[in-house]
Amino acid sequence: MNKLLFLALSAACGMTWAQTPATNPMPDGSRDMYVGLGVQSAPRWDGTGSRKVSALPVLQVQWSNGLFISGMSAGMHLTDSPTFEYGPLVAVQPGRDRSGTGQVFDGVGSAGTTLIGPVPEPIDKRNLRGTGLDGMNKIGARLQGGVFANYYLTPQWRLTSSVLYGAGNDHDGARLDLGVQRLAFELGSQHRVSVSAGVSIVNRNYNQTYFGVSLEEAAHSRFSWYEAGGGLQEAHVGVRWNWALSPSWMLTSNLQAKGLLGNAAKSPLVERSTNLTVSTAFAYRF
Amino acid sequence: MRASRQLIAAVAWLAAVVSTGAQAQAQAGEWVSYRDAYRAMVQFEKYGGPKNLLQSQLQVQSRDHAGLGEGAQLTLTGKTTQLNLPLDALGRTVFPLQKAAYDENAALVLNRKGVPFVLRPQVTIAPRADGQYDAADLRTACAQALGFVRYVDASQRARQCAGVRFVFSKKETAGVRLRHPEGGEQRLPEQALPVTSGAAFTGDPDEGFPIVTWRFGTAPGRVQVVTYNAPLAIVPIFE
Repeated sequence: MNKLLFLALSAACGMTWAQTPATNPMPDGSRDMYVGLGVQSAPRWDGTGSRKVSALPVLQVQWSNGLFISGMSAGMHLTDSPTFEYGPLVAVQPGRDRSGTGQVFDGVGSAGTTLIGPVPEPIDKRNLRGTGLDGMNKIGARLQGGVFANYYLTPQWRLTSSVLYGAGNDHDGARLDLGVQRLAFELGSQHRVSVSAGVSIVNRNYNQTYFGVSLEEAAHSRFSWYEAGGGLQEAHVGVRWNWALSPSWMLTSNLQAKGLLGNAAKSPLVERSTNLTVSTAFAYRF
Repeated sequence: MRASRQLIAAVAWLAAVVSTGAQAQAQAGEWVSYRDAYRAMVQFEKYGGPKNLLQSQLQVQSRDHAGLGEGAQLTLTGKTTQLNLPLDALGRTVFPLQKAAYDENAALVLNRKGVPFVLRPQVTIAPRADGQYDAADLRTACAQALGFVRYVDASQRARQCAGVRFVFSKKETAGVRLRHPEGGEQRLPEQALPVTSGAAFTGDPDEGFPIVTWRFGTAPGRVQVVTYNAPLAIVPIFE
């Protein structure tokens, strides 16, 4: 029975790329909705070894007219073709203050959830003194707008892409995400696992906001001045595991590994270029 | 640190509540979400290409390859929905597309406890009541099925129709003959096609069904394929 099925109600500071669930044909006037709550362990900001555990709200809704909300993203499927998806997309880019990246939401994916892997460091046991972003300017949450397009090589494999604009201090950061997903779809099984991988390419304005250090910030923080250029910013892989406990209840878990690349990896804000984000949440299907 | 522990404790509490709720919702047998099945089955309805010679059904397969046995049936169960869906000898049933069942987040429950199963959409060629099929019609039907397969799966675009497979009941005599057109210089006698044993659909665990495969090859368009017992299914073959 092919692709389909992806709930992805997860988001995290480690998951800044937009989520687009697979098309979900349904009767006119119907909707498919997941709402839930869980817990997430994630880096305080991209590139730090300091982690935080936080509550993770879960939300994914798809309507019969093609509109969808998935975690921090919303958009609309403009076609019901089984092999090609495209449409407008908006996404919220979490802000960042001296303590790290702000609150995020998750979806349940179009494919599944994760096998939860080991968390490399004991959660919240680090001495945070001197490891924060003291002296760095606050970055507000940003609403980005753009488009997405996905192509199915087979019903199980899809190539994904999205372009978003509007992130950063001056709302002029642009981001291109390219990826591939293996949609785990098996009716009859209560467990579905999907995997994904991808890269992100950003412009200079985007990278400068999140990985650059201005002269003013350098004077007030422990970081040295750094001007970040654009280009390849990160590569990521992820696994999502969805366990349907009943027709209504689901346990959705996610593991994401991200490696910073290029100018982002060289930033003085980056203590380690590879980070893990782990989350698990219960979701109710309405 | 304290906040983290409280958060984890809260999630553990939520897990206990959910577990209780899920047990309360547990069905008498294995289940599959109706919405998930709907999502796959509605694609045939939405397909805009020619499909007048085809039929779409939902097939139930046991995961352990042990078979479903006699009397297996699915039940569509929701708050206000209760619909029995008897399965044929190949484990197939017509899938009901119901908005009420979708909105209720209904479940499809198999009346076999502890038998995990999968559901698959199966598109086959609709059988004729008189059992007589013009070769041209079978080619057209196969082409229609291939068109649908290409619509849902881009990787199938290079495949071509190669023939059809008649699947018969194990309880009846299988027989398919080729009837050549009249009016030639000499009329050829009817030709019986060989009966073998195999699976109805690719990947089916039960390979014991009597099947007759007719490959299109260079058969003239006017030849007729005649079945002497109604086949369970006529499956298009793509290569």
